[in-house]
Amino acid sequence: MTLQVLLILILMVVAYAAAKAKKLSVELSILAAAVAGGIGGAFLKTPPIGELPRHLVEGMFPYLDVMLVFSTASIFMAIVGESGGINYIVRGTIRTFYNMRVAALLVLMLITLIPGALTGAGSMSILVVGAPVAMALKFMGVPERKRAALLFIVAGLAAAAPPVNIYAMILCAGTAIPYVGFTWTLGIPVLILGTFTVLFYGLKKEGGMNKAEALAAMPEVPAGMSWWRVLLPFLTFFGMVVAYRIWPFGTPIFGLPLEFTAAALVAWLVSPKKIDVLTLSRETVKRLLPLLATMIVVGMLQQIMTATGVRGLFSFAMISTPLILLYILLAVIIPVSEGVLTFGAAAILGIPLVWFLNSIGLHATVVIAALSILWPLGSALPPTALMGRLSVMVSDYKGTYGSFLRKLWLPWLVITVVSILMIIYSAKLSFLVRWSM
Amino acid sequence: MNKERTVKIVLVAVIGVVTALGAVPLYRHRHSTMPVIAGPGVTKVIKLSDYAPTLKGTMGDIDVFVMEGKEPGGKAFLMSDTHANEPAGLLALMALVENAVVDKGTLYVALTFNASGSRNTKPGDGYPLYFDIPTEWGQVRFRFGNRDASPLDQWPDPDVYIHYPERQALSYVDGRNTNRTWPGRPNGLLMERVTFAAMELMRKEKVDVAMDFHGAETMFPVTNCIVAPQKSAKIATMASMTVKAMEGFDNHVEPSPGNFRGLSHREIGDYADTLPFLMEAPIPFLDQPTGPKTVKLLIDGKDDFLLSLSKKKKLFVSYDETGWPMDKRVGQHASVALEILKQFSKKNPERSIKLSGFPRYAEIVQNGIGKYFHDPAKADPKSVYFE
Amino acid sequence: MPVITIFYYLITAFIVGMLGWNFWHEKKSVNDMILYLLVIVPLLLRILRVK
Ligand SMILES: [Zn+2]
Repeated sequence: MTLQVLLILILMVVAYAAAKAKKLSVELSILAAAVAGGIGGAFLKTPPIGELPRHLVEGMFPYLDVMLVFSTASIFMAIVGESGGINYIVRGTIRTFYNMRVAALLVLMLITLIPGALTGAGSMSILVVGAPVAMALKFMGVPERKRAALLFIVAGLAAAAPPVNIYAMILCAGTAIPYVGFTWTLGIPVLILGTFTVLFYGLKKEGGMNKAEALAAMPEVPAGMSWWRVLLPFLTFFGMVVAYRIWPFGTPIFGLPLEFTAAALVAWLVSPKKIDVLTLSRETVKRLLPLLATMIVVGMLQQIMTATGVRGLFSFAMISTPLILLYILLAVIIPVSEGVLTFGAAAILGIPLVWFLNSIGLHATVVIAALSILWPLGSALPPTALMGRLSVMVSDYKGTYGSFLRKLWLPWLVITVVSILMIIYSAKLSFLVRWSM
Repeated sequence: MNKERTVKIVLVAVIGVVTALGAVPLYRHRHSTMPVIAGPGVTKVIKLSDYAPTLKGTMGDIDVFVMEGKEPGGKAFLMSDTHANEPAGLLALMALVENAVVDKGTLYVALTFNASGSRNTKPGDGYPLYFDIPTEWGQVRFRFGNRDASPLDQWPDPDVYIHYPERQALSYVDGRNTNRTWPGRPNGLLMERVTFAAMELMRKEKVDVAMDFHGAETMFPVTNCIVAPQKSAKIATMASMTVKAMEGFDNHVEPSPGNFRGLSHREIGDYADTLPFLMEAPIPFLDQPTGPKTVKLLIDGKDDFLLSLSKKKKLFVSYDETGWPMDKRVGQHASVALEILKQFSKKNPERSIKLSGFPRYAEIVQNGIGKYFHDPAKADPKSVYFE
Repeated sequence: MPVITIFYYLITAFIVGMLGWNFWHEKKSVNDMILYLLVIVPLLLRILRVK
């Protein structure tokens, strides 16, 4: 049986590599791997060929709700961005904190964390607030290579930050562990690591301008923009989230997509500038396409891998690896799997891994939190390099991609060490989960 | 016609055809039925919505087979397909409905407790849609469902599911899991209404014993056991010891944790005067490290990876080349159920429950569970129900 | 069907609409055309209450 499953795995890897070699996108390469695995499996009726279309279609569904969260949240953030709300906040930050470098850096970090924290996608942070934050950093005298690196690391932490952490949601859904207890378990490490990152890259002023020049160079904010116009949509969202927690039996269940939709409507209504929602939504969906498609093809891949036994083989290999070696390997496996499969890595490697670590007595919630801090680092790695490429793009870095990667080394190392220690000492950190309940 | 238009038409056609080929089986699975024959012991078939009108006309409303004895006595509520991807309980209870006769007391049997879940699949997990059990007259086809109700019947999920009424925060999917929504409420989520109706049945009919049949991974610590709260623990322990001594299989007792809400073995006992028991039989098919997820694995429970892990002492049940066949799992459920009723009756003679015609472990293992299913084509059509 | 559930079908339909519009107006990238269709499939099957 091992040989049979191994052959299917090889077939899938070959299909992926061949598709990449033909210059197909990562998404289509994953699709090719899924289809190849399904056809390979059909030779031994695992599953029979007649069931292949059903498996492929069914595989499109695991992340349907996540896709809706993602789409509505992104449209919401796009409306906030278009209304000038983000420029307004960044301007305010420069005006208030320009001469307090540490405070300015911390506020910029929080601004960068919010879109990713709300949507679960670090790329949202880069897309929505990346450009104005990078500009503010430029005025503050942070060179372009450091800007790109800072944005990438903080956006990765944003993906992990509560309340929405797609890695954790996928893992919890797949292991039947409640998606609760993450607020501080994720929040505290994210804030500490984020603070370290912004100070590491941004503390030293290299060139830059003074406050007046900086403010003059910032993009104009639409007339009539004010704090309440920026805050009201966010209050709507958090209000709906919090209402259910305070009156769980009196509040209907809205769900995140409807909560984001309501917030988007409010943002649209209070915007001082007229916004064409349809065009903006279409553009947002267009930008999201690679991410949405990734969730589709990864679900299909996951379905085929499970049906053919390949996922079982991974799980088996992981459980059979000596524990110490496994801890060390995680530092490499986790980011690389993200680079190849993006969110799918959480489902394909993460689920069996969490299952196993849980069974040997580690605290599953802390383990999931730790892994979800480690995974986004892989988003700088090829073949996908999703967030890495975006970071380089919005921060106007003209150097090679390799030189950007090398600039990441220290925060990368620190994040890796922190998350592996979190896994090893998960039982001792379970108080964070209790605080969050 | 320009090139771009042609490309688009071809793409829509190809993806459309594959989608149709994949969507039709999924649609059929949701709308398929399993025939069940109300056997000689069934005196009436009622609806769960008789106990909670808010369930009427929904996918949550199900048949409840009532088996009344000649003599009054105690009452028991038995349910399977709470998790419809753990099918051993369904097979055991179907054999019960089709064959058993109650001599004293009353049984209430819900075969597809989470009917929506039994018509749902688990995307990403590559399950088969159906499995067949051979009989003397042909195959009986069963739907293989999911742990959770379908989003087509309950959508959206909350970002966190807050358990009623204990306010414990649970995973967002657990709002669709009928083993997390106990004791439910009349106007809550559909699955809360399902468990509420069952609670009402147990409260109004003064049900003494409730049994919820499940399956659990061999690598999950709570497997091959009877989960019981404090109030049921004595009977569970006696049943466990008796089946071990008399029938030679292990089935230990696990205490129901007091702080984990929403489970049948916790809430039924806390919100009614009923003694709850939850039975777990091992189901290797659901384990993570297995080979292909085939019908064969579901039925015979044989897997090389698990065998290798068993040698490394990573499983919570004994496991060898014989796997963990369905008949063994169904047989365990049958014997443990009978033994719990016997132990309860011993302690409460005035509320005793006695039945006959329901096979025990050894018979099911020897004959195969298929022997106890009857041909619906040859049965009186009025006695055939479609679940 | 609860009002909120109806909202979900509407939200899903809105996103299918945006994806469909983009698919229709995509002139060059065959890759993107395929991806649009793939993303539309499960959303459409949900609206049709197949899965
Ligand atoms: Zn179960």
